[in-house]
Amino acid sequence: MPLPNGLRVVISADRTAPVATVGVYYNIGFRIEPRGRSGFAHLFEHMMFQGSANAGKMVHIKLINSSGGVLNGSTHYDVTNYYESVPSNALERVLWLEADRMRALKVDDENLRNQRDVVKEEVRVNVLNQPYGGFPWLDLPPIAYRNWANAHNFYGDFDDLDAATLDDVQKFFQTYYAPSNAVLLILGDIDPDEGFRLAERHFASIPSGPQPKPASIEEPPQLEERRGEVEEKFGTLPGIAIGYQAPRRLTPEWHAAAMLDHALHGGRAGRVYRRLVLEQQIAVDAEGGIHYPVGDLFDYNGPTLMVTRILHKPEYSVEQTITAYDQVIDEMKEKGITSAELEPIKVKFRSNYFSALEGGHGAYIPRYGLMHLLACFTLFDDDPRLVNTILGGFMEVTPKAVQSVAQKLLTHHNRSIVIRRPVKKGAA
Amino acid sequence: MASAPRSETQSVIPALASERPVIWPPRVYKTLSNGLEIVLVESHTIPKFTGELFFRSGNAVTVASAPGLADITAAVVRTGTTARASRQIEEDLRRMGADLSSGAGADNSVISFAGLVDFADGLLALVSELAREASFPNDEFERERRQMLEGLRIERTTPGFLAGERLRRVLFGQHPYGTVSPTEAQVTAYRVEQLSDFYKNHYRPGNALLVMVGDFAPREMLAQIEKAFGAWPSGPVEEAPNPPLPGLQGRRVYLVHLPGAVQAQILVGNRAITRRHPDWLRLTLANSIYGGAFNSRLVMNIREQKGYTYSPRSGAHPLRQHGYFSVGAAVRNDVVAATLTEVFYEIDRMRSTPVGEEELADARSYVTGVFSLGLATQDGLAGQLATTTLEKLPEDFLETYRDRVLKLTAADVLDAAQKYFDSAHAQIVIVGDRAQIESQAALFGALEVYDAQGNRI
Repeated sequence: MPLPNGLRVVISADRTAPVATVGVYYNIGFRIEPRGRSGFAHLFEHMMFQGSANAGKMVHIKLINSSGGVLNGSTHYDVTNYYESVPSNALERVLWLEADRMRALKVDDENLRNQRDVVKEEVRVNVLNQPYGGFPWLDLPPIAYRNWANAHNFYGDFDDLDAATLDDVQKFFQTYYAPSNAVLLILGDIDPDEGFRLAERHFASIPSGPQPKPASIEEPPQLEERRGEVEEKFGTLPGIAIGYQAPRRLTPEWHAAAMLDHALHGGRAGRVYRRLVLEQQIAVDAEGGIHYPVGDLFDYNGPTLMVTRILHKPEYSVEQTITAYDQVIDEMKEKGITSAELEPIKVKFRSNYFSALEGGHGAYIPRYGLMHLLACFTLFDDDPRLVNTILGGFMEVTPKAVQSVAQKLLTHHNRSIVIRRPVKKGAA
Repeated sequence: MASAPRSETQSVIPALASERPVIWPPRVYKTLSNGLEIVLVESHTIPKFTGELFFRSGNAVTVASAPGLADITAAVVRTGTTARASRQIEEDLRRMGADLSSGAGADNSVISFAGLVDFADGLLALVSELAREASFPNDEFERERRQMLEGLRIERTTPGFLAGERLRRVLFGQHPYGTVSPTEAQVTAYRVEQLSDFYKNHYRPGNALLVMVGDFAPREMLAQIEKAFGAWPSGPVEEAPNPPLPGLQGRRVYLVHLPGAVQAQILVGNRAITRRHPDWLRLTLANSIYGGAFNSRLVMNIREQKGYTYSPRSGAHPLRQHGYFSVGAAVRNDVVAATLTEVFYEIDRMRSTPVGEEELADARSYVTGVFSLGLATQDGLAGQLATTTLEKLPEDFLETYRDRVLKLTAADVLDAAQKYFDSAHAQIVIVGDRAQIESQAALFGALEVYDAQGNRI
């Protein structure tokens, strides 16, 4: 239920352990950031830890750690989250801190310079100085998409990071960080009535702001296969990533595509891994998914891809590898899937969903997985209760529906391919 | 724009409420007659369970004969049994909604699994089969061997891996802990009989621990486990060797040359202690103040003040026989010397000046709070219970953990820093492009340069 300023509040109580997780999700991700400011949504996320009206630089982090808690934030395609897990006696303190930075960010040029440097090292350690860094989550979008929102460098070109100003920071905050563009989630050791009372106490007086204008993230229809190459500076094996434009969320086609995805990429029993890695032994690794690898089936709200990521042996050519992959795809389109294959996939899908709910993001953020789903269903679909019912649509998918969606999606003119070509020769 | 009136309370940080005690979930401990130890914990959040079947033998046992043998043994274990071929295993797992993985570290090998409670019988039967009747098909072995080789080649281009590998070699020398990965030649020399021998000798119930957490009644689950694992014959197991450790005198610098690197991976370390050591919690607390938490001195200094790095962290790393302390940061090339200066400044401050009361109290809260958070997820809980049992820690280790941390003093922290943050004999590893960083590295001690294959250059 929203507060008068538009902030939605979702509470999920579970009092078996004296700990609570709090999340604030804003309906803004790296897809929608200003042109000429690639990487800004993520840089901005860092700025949210640099000081707010009543909690200066480091106060936020110090208060959470010294209360026995941990905290972090992360920037996704369509949402940015901030979260804390704490012993539940510190819950009100966490809400106060999150309200303070939703109310007013208080940062200066020195903070911005400092975090710009930190973010550049983050990009180096995760992308520029790693084998297969950013492959394929940063490599595929510029090839697959025509709309800058979907196609640009989400981690940021260093020139763009350098160009960011404090004005940009405050403007972004004013535009996207209004309470009506956010959801507050409280999970764990809390009485729900008390939770709503605390939410009201700390958040209700935050002024409402105008809703941001919806940005255009639509893609023109794709009519041809798209290909590109990226140099691999460190790794020794050629990489190939193939991405098919995926259906919109919450449609029957999306349910079927999820089952198709599982048939292809469901671990070692999935057709792609089984054929390319275990049987033909062309590849040493092959995995994928819808909105893979930096997201999942549920946490996007715009164009995305069903991706396969392959590292193959150097004695096979890229074309040989793609041909072997295409045989797997063509078989699915021509022969479809039997109930004997689909029914176990549904069992595994259901089991995976339960694990996603339970997942603690490594073990120290109890209920992170449930929080993430609740937040996406609230911000994208205005219906957190989908978390209880969403499985139904997947369980009803028929073999015929899987084959139909395969025939529709898995076409050459609906896909993009990026080759990651090593500079060094592998052994062999 | 209309704005609501601000209430007075908004500029005041809310105080902490009184703490609720940790609620210990019901646990059952049992040892079967064949020696298999079992720990079961109820957790009813989802209709699933997770489990880990550990064997107290890992790569340390085989370093002298075949480094990495426990790794490849674990990989091939899941690819075939006397009753099921690889494809059958994978399809059976999917049918049961289950995940399974197998692997090894220095001290343990493990089969990890998770599945729906409806299929608990079937999944336990499969895990038991993998633990007792793995058939080591030759074609699967050859496939895994090639994948391991390609994986090694990629690891040797990964800065974090290269730094860790060199530090372990420097700190532990010819002790098994000094070797974290085999060479390509060693992998090429594996014979499938070596795998099946390791399996026969070390995948034994008397060497094993089964930890399970999930949506079950422990008594009934125990009966299911007895059915699946009770008839497994016990057998003797050889211990890991424990050769002497190298003497380390003075600071030395080891530069691992990675051509084209656009950042320098720094890793500084010294030998420390295991979890069984009476100083373990003192070291844990000192580490959290130094560089083990976001709010720690090192992170504040080289990230939040100076912007040298994204993810600086220190850690106390316990292995079964020994432990080590390390400080890591990936920094831009022109601040390698500046970073090392701050790393040692903060170490020396920990060693020379008692920590103040407020910082001490904050750190105690942090360590005890994070401990409680870790008990509130299934993965965290399973991990804590497994470690306590595997490392034969006192039975009340977990129950008394928080109280013991809360009693620690500034003198305890100072003592731990002086003993285990070895500023004078710190070993310094830097992975990066030699031309960019060598002159800075050489300021901190006698320099040795290696290539990514581990050869001195």
